Amino acid sequence: MIVAHVRGHRVMAEGLDEHAKSSWLSGLDARAKLIGILAFVVATSLLTETRLVLASLAFSVAFAALSQVPPGHLARAYLSALPFILIASVSVFLFAGYERGLDMWARTSSCVLALLVLASGTETFELFAGLRRLRMPAIITTLLMLTYKYILMMSEELSRMTVARKARGFAGGRSLLDRRGIKVISYTAGMVFVRSAERADRAFDALTARGFDKDMRGWRRSKIAAPELSFVAWFVTVSVILMLLQLGVSP
Amino acid sequence: MSQARVRALQNGINIGLRFCITKRVIRITELVEMHIPDGLMDPVIALTGWIEFLVVAAVALFLVRTRVKDKDLPRIAVLSAGVFVAQMLNFPIGGGTTGHLVGGALMAIMVGPVVAILGMTVILLIQGLMFGDGGMTAFGLNAVNMAVIAPLTGWGVYTLIKPIVSRKDEKPFGPGTAIAVAAGAWASVFLAAAACAAELVVSYAISGGTYGIAATVSVPAMLGYHTVIAVGEAIITAGVLAYVWSISPGVFAREPVATTKAEGLRGILHLKTTQATIAVLIAFALALPLYFIYSAEGADGLEKTMSDAEVEEGGAVFSSPFSYGENYFAALFAGILGFVVTALAALGLLRILQGVKAAD
Repeated sequence: MIVAHVRGHRVMAEGLDEHAKSSWLSGLDARAKLIGILAFVVATSLLTETRLVLASLAFSVAFAALSQVPPGHLARAYLSALPFILIASVSVFLFAGYERGLDMWARTSSCVLALLVLASGTETFELFAGLRRLRMPAIITTLLMLTYKYILMMSEELSRMTVARKARGFAGGRSLLDRRGIKVISYTAGMVFVRSAERADRAFDALTARGFDKDMRGWRRSKIAAPELSFVAWFVTVSVILMLLQLGVSP
Repeated sequence: MSQARVRALQNGINIGLRFCITKRVIRITELVEMHIPDGLMDPVIALTGWIEFLVVAAVALFLVRTRVKDKDLPRIAVLSAGVFVAQMLNFPIGGGTTGHLVGGALMAIMVGPVVAILGMTVILLIQGLMFGDGGMTAFGLNAVNMAVIAPLTGWGVYTLIKPIVSRKDEKPFGPGTAIAVAAGAWASVFLAAAACAAELVVSYAISGGTYGIAATVSVPAMLGYHTVIAVGEAIITAGVLAYVWSISPGVFAREPVATTKAEGLRGILHLKTTQATIAVLIAFALALPLYFIYSAEGADGLEKTMSDAEVEEGGAVFSSPFSYGENYFAALFAGILGFVVTALAALGLLRILQGVKAAD
């Protein structure tokens, strides 16, 4: 999972916000995207009929294809989220049969894919601003924003220290019984905290100096216009149709 | 079989083995983890998770608003970011497998459980929204496991055990503190994994196999693996705290010490031991709805078989006050959990009584 995490972060670090700016999806208001996609995710996670689950997956894939997010990027992000999906569907496959396993895989994949397109097709801070506009408590969105900023800062710090560690001949330790290895690793983690604390204060001071007052405002003016409404309508219609079909199938 | 073929077979096995060892073909670490994706859990369980999480989050937000000042925000954010980054740092377990921190206990012991709940929630939100680690419908459950149960248990166990194992004149991070930290961290990961396994099992049982994972897979996989992972978590958490507290003790202030001494019931509530006991009990109580859902909706396997076969059940000679759960594993782990929680609660009560006596 940690490997998956690191892979995921590398994917995110590849200047995603750059190309996120140019697609039609990123032009939409974050609120519309959040509402539409969350409705779809909720509906999909309620589906149990194989054909409907596959239809939902097909819709996710079509949405991903239309979204102008680079497919290579999506594929790598999906792979990094795959492990738990896989163990779930394989174990269902072994215990409850082929169809249930397929259902499980398709259902989780469909949701994960839709959420990844949402994350990749939206600038990070726009996403947080959208959450704030949807009335998430200010303290949480502010913490989200600061944490995300500091994560970027600290992963750089960590990768610099990892290089330094490697340069001194540290290979990662052998097992939990390897005292030296464990010591190096835990001190590295401790050092990340200590080193970043001061920089974090400075970063916060810089934010305050630029007029940040504990509540965030998006860069762009937010508006709900025809494109946003049609996006929400599109997703909600699909979700409702899937739900109705599901209700029709199972009494 | 000719000798050439035997040799070829041996070579094949050798190459295969070497390939497995060098390439680590199956990385268990990547397969077993705690972030539940969308569509894995039964909707009823997911909804229960959301409700539980929202209640706890509302209380935590209220407490944070009254205690945390604006200038503390960057420090909390740094801590969340640090835990997030520390989750990227893997430690070796042995045999080529690696694990990584969950960090709930680390954060809770550093700044107290209330802030830790908030900080871990933020981490999970970022993971779910940005990286597809853990879904949105399952967010409630993920948050209950890793952002509520883990910090509460970690901090509770640490606070309850510390006075027993450490001496009064101990250095800032002596062996006693290290043991308490390690115990807290171990318990936090183990209990979070147990909660996750229980959710999977109940989902499987009440949905008849559409959702969740069967107990025969999920319980040994989650608990077996996390029993070992938790040892790593314990060692690393102790190491990180030893480093941070000795290098720069002021960076992350430990939770504020109550300066005013309150009397009576308020006094008891202000005791850290009381709070720790409550924390552990809350962590345990979060599992109760699962049990009720299970017993309400999941038909007992034996009873179902009997009703299918139209067999009448005779009167029981002796009925146990506790059921043994679905199978051996479930019973075993329910037993262990029950024992640990009861022991901790008893410990907490004893210490509270002592505290009250000493105050008299």
